[in-house]
Amino acid sequence: MTLIMEILNEFGVKPVLLIAQVVNFLLLLFILKRFLYKPILKALEQRKQKIVQSLKNAEEIEKRLEAVSKEREEALRKASKEAETIIGEATTSADRIIAQAHEKAQKDISKMIERSQQSLKLEREKLYQDIKGELAGLVMVALEKVTGKVVTEKDQKELIKKSIKQLES
Amino acid sequence: MDIEIAAETIGHIGSFPITNSLLVTLATTGILSALAVISSRKITPIPSSLQNFWEFIIEAIYNLSEEIAHSRAKIFFPFVMTFFLFIITANWLGLLPGFGTVGFKEVHEGKQVFVPLLRSINADLNTTLALAAISAVATHFFALKYLGIWQYLKKWFSLNPIFLFVGILELVGEFTKLISLSFRLFGNIFAGEIVLATIAGIFAFVVPLPFYFLEIIVGFIQAAVFMMLTLVFMALLSEKPGH
Repeated sequence: MTLIMEILNEFGVKPVLLIAQVVNFLLLLFILKRFLYKPILKALEQRKQKIVQSLKNAEEIEKRLEAVSKEREEALRKASKEAETIIGEATTSADRIIAQAHEKAQKDISKMIERSQQSLKLEREKLYQDIKGELAGLVMVALEKVTGKVVTEKDQKELIKKSIKQLES
Repeated sequence: MDIEIAAETIGHIGSFPITNSLLVTLATTGILSALAVISSRKITPIPSSLQNFWEFIIEAIYNLSEEIAHSRAKIFFPFVMTFFLFIITANWLGLLPGFGTVGFKEVHEGKQVFVPLLRSINADLNTTLALAAISAVATHFFALKYLGIWQYLKKWFSLNPIFLFVGILELVGEFTKLISLSFRLFGNIFAGEIVLATIAGIFAFVVPLPFYFLEIIVGFIQAAVFMMLTLVFMALLSEKPGH
């Protein structure tokens, strides 16, 4: 024991100084714990929590974004399908309308042609009658000139009779 | 230049002796406390330079203690961290110019001796012995706290003669830990001081530079070793047996 004391004495170890060092260290421990470790560890923990929260949020946002884009795609597909059907319907109805118009036009044209043909026929008959009348007049005048007398009613009748007779014989 | 193995007394307050290493101990404590208070006054979510620096060190050592002590890390961490900070600050502070060279002459037992005003504090056995004692007492206190008195005593004493013998050996080992912790730190730093003084005595320009680098590394390593050993001792002793 005395040997240990001697050694310690040689190294300048004194109980008072030892206690002073211990007290000093414990004081430092207290100060650092209170003013350094606690706030820094707290800040680190808070940052960790925040990062975890942020990551979770980011994941959620991504998920939502995906859902929204899927929804949009779906809507687009639906709209395009609808547009297609509408266009198809419109095409068929337009075809029908065109066909109807075609048919009607053809009918009208043929009717018009018929009518015009009829009117042409009538005109021609009328023309024929007119020409016939006029021709008779002309023949009469020519006969007057030839026979030198006015063809009367009587002559007329005789002439007709003669001609008929000639035709019959 | 001669370096005394014991810290020199530079004055008295009443009957209380003020050694040069005690002076530097107070300075070290002051520096660390001031840094702590300054950086903790404005803790922001986005760290600035000083906060960044503390966060880096504290996070690294906290993760280390969590790895070794798991759930007990929260209790051990302040001790372990303070050991590291105090020892490394003291060691590096002791490398500053003025340590061991600025002082006064005193007539001591008829001889004129040089008394340096500042002394690297871990080159004083008082400091390292105090640190080792705190480490040991805290280790056993935590062991008692986590194991309970019965399991704690069972670590050392057993009815089985072989285990009893081993237990007593380990009890002796606890005192060895105290001595090894204190003398390792003291020896390394004190030897460093002597080396630096000797080299500076041979040629004071440029030549001591590599030795200064060496001492910077030694200062860090000794702080880390003290911290790691304390952490491991704490974790081992408070571990439940059969685990």
